[in-house]
Amino acid sequence: MKTLVSLIGGIAAALVAASASAVITLGASVQLSGPLANTGRYYRDGYEMAIDTINKAGGVKVGGKSEQLELKILDNQSDNNLAVRQYVQLVTQDKISLLLGPFASDAVIATSSVAEKYQVPMVQGGGASDQIYSRGYKYIFGTLPAATKYFESTIEAMGKLNPAPKTVALLYADDAFDVSVAKGTRDLIKAAGLTTALDERYSTNASDFASLLARIKSANVDAVLVAGHETEILNFIRQAKSLSVSPKIYSFTVGVPSADFRKALGKDADFAFGMTSWLPTATLTDQWFGNAEKFEQAYKARFGYEPDYHAASAVADVEAYAKAIEAAGSTDPQKVRDAVAKLNFDSLYGPIKFDEKGQISLPQTVIQVQDGKVVPIYGGKGFIEKPRYPMPAWDKR
Amino acid sequence: MDLLWQVLVNGVLLGGLYALMALGLALVWGVLNIVNIAHGAFIMLGAYVCYYLFAGLGLDPFAALPLAMLALFVFGYVVQRYLLNLVIRAPMFNTLLITFGIDVVLTLLAQLAFSADFRTINPTYAGSNFMLGSATVPFVRVIAFGIAVGLTLLLWLFLTRARLGRAIRATAQNLVAARLYGVEPRRVYALTFALGAALAGAAGSLYGVVSQVNPYIGGSLTAKSFAIAIIGGLDSPLGVIVGGLFLGIVESLTSLYIGPTYSDVASFGILVLVLIFRPSGLLGRTA
Repeated sequence: MKTLVSLIGGIAAALVAASASAVITLGASVQLSGPLANTGRYYRDGYEMAIDTINKAGGVKVGGKSEQLELKILDNQSDNNLAVRQYVQLVTQDKISLLLGPFASDAVIATSSVAEKYQVPMVQGGGASDQIYSRGYKYIFGTLPAATKYFESTIEAMGKLNPAPKTVALLYADDAFDVSVAKGTRDLIKAAGLTTALDERYSTNASDFASLLARIKSANVDAVLVAGHETEILNFIRQAKSLSVSPKIYSFTVGVPSADFRKALGKDADFAFGMTSWLPTATLTDQWFGNAEKFEQAYKARFGYEPDYHAASAVADVEAYAKAIEAAGSTDPQKVRDAVAKLNFDSLYGPIKFDEKGQISLPQTVIQVQDGKVVPIYGGKGFIEKPRYPMPAWDKR
Repeated sequence: MDLLWQVLVNGVLLGGLYALMALGLALVWGVLNIVNIAHGAFIMLGAYVCYYLFAGLGLDPFAALPLAMLALFVFGYVVQRYLLNLVIRAPMFNTLLITFGIDVVLTLLAQLAFSADFRTINPTYAGSNFMLGSATVPFVRVIAFGIAVGLTLLLWLFLTRARLGRAIRATAQNLVAARLYGVEPRRVYALTFALGAALAGAAGSLYGVVSQVNPYIGGSLTAKSFAIAIIGGLDSPLGVIVGGLFLGIVESLTSLYIGPTYSDVASFGILVLVLIFRPSGLLGRTA
């Protein structure tokens, strides 16, 4: 009897040990409900899809053994304080030592302190603000390019348009990401020799832009650059139409690459410029998905909506862990962290390589909505497609 | 000068919509003594009803508006009669908590039912406008303004002239006396709450036409409605209109002269000042 019990105990222990060693859990707290749920879903779906695909291809090799990846994802309800508590819970209670990030710079700034405190790596694809990387943290890595440079390619392209815009209005929301964008854009505007007609910060979630639009119209601004959130930009474009404000060009940090944003605006989305760090092209090859184009099709087939750069960035985060764990031959957080810092591989999102602060460097392709579709306009090597410029008046569309 | 004129026009039109948003909240607050935290969520629901009638059935949003009001009227009646009525004699704090709970539940259900995607009610004429002097006046905003003012006046007439309206006011002023005169408060309460919800339905439909709809717009709309109700006072719908217009103009001018980040500071700063100096609202009787 005694031997039987010990035998069963032994088997159970072996099973537990086996299952514990065969699975590597990545932990994340993402905005699955609340005002940011709309973008948060890209991260949930991106993480899940990457993990499933890597597992199907045999998982991650650790010291000659194949191990499966697993995701523990919590809903932070778009509340940064809750996100911080959930990451503490993931690390201390669930004993997860490899973290994926939430969406948006504010959330990353808050939660990366948890990773730093417990000395576990966090690879995140949702925050781009310089404030994330200016604190000398060792455990935070990011796959969104620097916020300060979001408008770099746009302003470069503007110099080559005919007639080139001369005056610029810069509007930005008062959160970490958009303040960083504005800071960088100010320098870019100055370097390009453009005149700033308007430089205004507005409250996040502002719904009324009529006063700002009246000022843009009365100053007869050529180019309007807006760093904000999708809801604000939706309101901005709708109110621009109803007040007949049409600058030669307007460009937005978010919204344009996202399908549901374009759908909400319908025809009114046309002519809007934006930027993206990722386009689903076949030239971006990937070990697990083949290439970015195939990834886009698989993603759309599975989730029923188009991925944008948020989703691709999320996939790159999971792939970075897979590569780093294999390179380190271990799941020890310290070793994985060092391997992440040394990564250099091609993914469907682009080449993954972090600078000494932990941030990736990728060019932003200028894009424009033309007849409801996103068209790449300007990349590192010059114009790709012809921009529709200047924007016609609203009643002449 | 042209700029100032344009901004003033913007402010007045914005204020009309604000007033309609706050109207239902102020009515319910004044009569039932319930601060309905879920009012913004009701506005959100009204916007979705209008959106689906517009996008699904191809109904013109202004034709869909009365249907949205009707839907919300029924919804409000049920919520009051079978939920809030159970705690109507409880302290204000309890009803506040209950409506807060309703707000959370409605928001979450809305995300499950409608997804977190952004929606706009965008008929072809949504962006058209005309000139008034040197100011560009958005056509839909004028209609929205007209509907807001019209509904406010109707409500005012109803409360002062109609039998049921007078019963509602009587209940608000003196419950015991109203009962002695044969008013049945249970019915009056449910109808008042339903009326408040119907007004939220109208506000939501108009909000969807000029702005955008997602499950999370409720919170900030409740806060704004709350401020307007206090600034305007709970005594009369006309006070709410004054409060809404006042806030719309102040926010627009703040955005023009001080900066758009400060428009919330201005509106809630005024709220504090009103609470200190005129606690019954701008038009209210001073104690």
